[in-house]
Amino acid sequence: MADGRLVGDKMSHASESAAAGKPRPLARGSIRAVILALLFSAAASGVLAVQGGDTSVGQQLFQKNCIGCHTIGGGTLVGPDLQGVTERRDQQWLVSWIENPDQVRASGDPIAQQLDQQFPVKMPNLGLTRAQAEQIVAYLAAQSGAAPAASPAAAALLAGDVVHGKDLFTGNARFSAGGPACIACHSAGGVGALGGGQLGPDLTLSINKFGEAGLDGFLTNPPTQTMSAVWTGHALTPQERADLRAFLAQAAVSGRPTNTVVQLALLAIAGTALLLGLAQVIWRNRLRAVRRTMVTAARR
Amino acid sequence: MDIRAQVSMVFHLDKCIGCHTCSLACKNIWTDRKGAEYMWWNNVETKPGTGYPTLWEDQEKYKGGWEVVNEGGKPRARLKLQGRFGALANIFYNPYLPSVDDYYEPWTYDYANLLDAPEGDDQPTARAVSQITGKYIDTIEAGPNWDDDLGGSTIYAANDPNLAGLNEAERAELAELQRVVFFYLPRICNHCLNAGCVAACPAGAIYKRGEDGIVLISQEKCRGWRMCISGCPYKKTYYNWHTGKSEKCILCFPRLESGQPPACFHSCVGRIRYLGVLLYDADRIEEAISVPNQELVEAQRSIIQDPFDPKIIQAARDGGVSDAMLDAAQKSPVYKFVKLWKLALPLHAEFRTLPMLFYVPPMLPVLARVTGDGNYEVAGAADHSLAPLLSSLDRARVPLRYMANLFAAGNEEVVREVYRKLFAVRLHSRSQQVGDVPADEVQRALEIGKTTPEEAGAIFRLTARPTYQERFLVPPLHREEAIEQTISPYKERSETGFGFLETPERRW
Repeated sequence: MADGRLVGDKMSHASESAAAGKPRPLARGSIRAVILALLFSAAASGVLAVQGGDTSVGQQLFQKNCIGCHTIGGGTLVGPDLQGVTERRDQQWLVSWIENPDQVRASGDPIAQQLDQQFPVKMPNLGLTRAQAEQIVAYLAAQSGAAPAASPAAAALLAGDVVHGKDLFTGNARFSAGGPACIACHSAGGVGALGGGQLGPDLTLSINKFGEAGLDGFLTNPPTQTMSAVWTGHALTPQERADLRAFLAQAAVSGRPTNTVVQLALLAIAGTALLLGLAQVIWRNRLRAVRRTMVTAARR
Repeated sequence: MDIRAQVSMVFHLDKCIGCHTCSLACKNIWTDRKGAEYMWWNNVETKPGTGYPTLWEDQEKYKGGWEVVNEGGKPRARLKLQGRFGALANIFYNPYLPSVDDYYEPWTYDYANLLDAPEGDDQPTARAVSQITGKYIDTIEAGPNWDDDLGGSTIYAANDPNLAGLNEAERAELAELQRVVFFYLPRICNHCLNAGCVAACPAGAIYKRGEDGIVLISQEKCRGWRMCISGCPYKKTYYNWHTGKSEKCILCFPRLESGQPPACFHSCVGRIRYLGVLLYDADRIEEAISVPNQELVEAQRSIIQDPFDPKIIQAARDGGVSDAMLDAAQKSPVYKFVKLWKLALPLHAEFRTLPMLFYVPPMLPVLARVTGDGNYEVAGAADHSLAPLLSSLDRARVPLRYMANLFAAGNEEVVREVYRKLFAVRLHSRSQQVGDVPADEVQRALEIGKTTPEEAGAIFRLTARPTYQERFLVPPLHREEAIEQTISPYKERSETGFGFLETPERRW
């Protein structure tokens, strides 16, 4: 378990320094060696875990990557309830699916197609290694027979404050852990005429897509790569999640997605053009070019 | 009875030589500014011609002036342009505006090139440069007096709206090369009694000064709606594209207030211009503009009042007209030309704005004509001195019909009477100066012209040999007294001197 932890930390450390563009005074070869060693140890521990029944690494990975969308015996959220999944599905398939769902999809797998149709959000690529996927599957197998664990869905959801939720969304109020305001990447109905960022999807109808519990889970532990990268280390408090949920729930009812604003603008432009055309017709007898018309007529 | 004073004008067209000195005097003083390059508050047109802006007399196009409608069996004058609702509907979009092309694109010449051009094979030239865009103009298509440059042309002269009612033969005769004839028509703002521009202004920025009747546009109140430009049938308000406000002839009121005649009057080489005060009855304006076209000239004469009548004088005093103004009205040359002698006529009375600039129609083109064998027949030079009086008016080079369209709202009889009197005066004066006209013929001429030797003498004197003081009877305007009628003198006193554009303010 310590190994698995280490892997994550070291890797993120290495990628951070690379992303920051500040080369450390560490030889490139030695970094590669460390990474390889760690990977190997992680894979070895993963295999051991699967064989030996130690599922704590898998549990941690599950907590980190999966509970945004899935429960074990807690009911369906955005993704299916994973109670007994190791019995429903072939384990090797599960490992492949968790490791790289895109590849499975590309191979034309019928189960993948069915899942994609059945659930609102497609299984994302979480960037896990095969070893980590195996750890998770091992954990799932161990949990399948166990009593339902406590899950976000089961816990009572806090009531949120719409106004504060909007403030958090637009950045008028700061997140206590210092994450960026949602509006930097997302738009939602009710944040103003210009909308928000276009990098991420429009969140106006997100509550309908995820459901209250699903959204809470998503925000607790954002599963997508981008969100995960941004929010690691800046976890939202339960109250902040509740406020954002409340705001998005209201946006879904009263707000307008940004693309309808665009439609409205296009409609306005078309209306203006129509009115201008109409004015041309109504005032077609207006005075124009007296001298020029006279000269042209006289020369004819 | 509401007697008011109006500074009025007479232009004697027989004396106009079309030199444009008046236009340049005005241009140099008032409109030599950015945005005003195309404006000619005073312009001189060549008639027959389409004028400036092109076809300004054609109100079917420009919708200027007033029209009489029958309202419940009673004639009522209303603005041809639009009523209140029309003004509201068109406030952001006045559809009857002349474009700058209908005036002309003002230009100057690239004179610097004459001095600075590099050495080359060709003589350097000064190309025309637009004063609006600053770009070179390859072909100048119109100018402020294009009719003069193209006198008698088949494009401009042939399209003169005043030719209405002339038959094909008469039109062809006018355009025939040997007979081509034209005369000049100097125009400034008429300072009308029933001004179309004032009525059309949605901002209430145009007003007629109480003491002298000068029509002015407040540059503070003007919002640039440009309804006045359509509303004025004489197209004598102009839009300044730089300031976004409209401007017009101010009758040089700063000069008038210091006792001088307006610059165009002062500079007139032919001494054709007369300035003086008329008294009129403001209560009868509506009545005077509601009569049929044929009676318009007489109706306008009838509201001009006799400044010697004690009742009129009393009413004028009651209305606040100063004694100095009354004195000026009694000496006014305009009163003589318009009311006493009935020689001066309003331009286009059918626009029903009651213009206060009157014209003595030109006689010259009426008298000389070309006979069938191609020779000039000059009336008065032949044995039959009375011939023009008896017959040739109807065979004139410029048909009476044309003059009637210009000066008498189509009533030929009014113009005919003017010409008869003018010719009688000419014959009488010739008998006095040269002595070659038999006395009985002079007597006969005076009878036909409905005048007397005394009157003919006075007309001759004011026409041919007037002094500066006789031509320009500028009343002492006493602006300070006029102001006191609406503003307390104590308030006026505290507003020091010329006032402040920016009030001084302590900034520390």
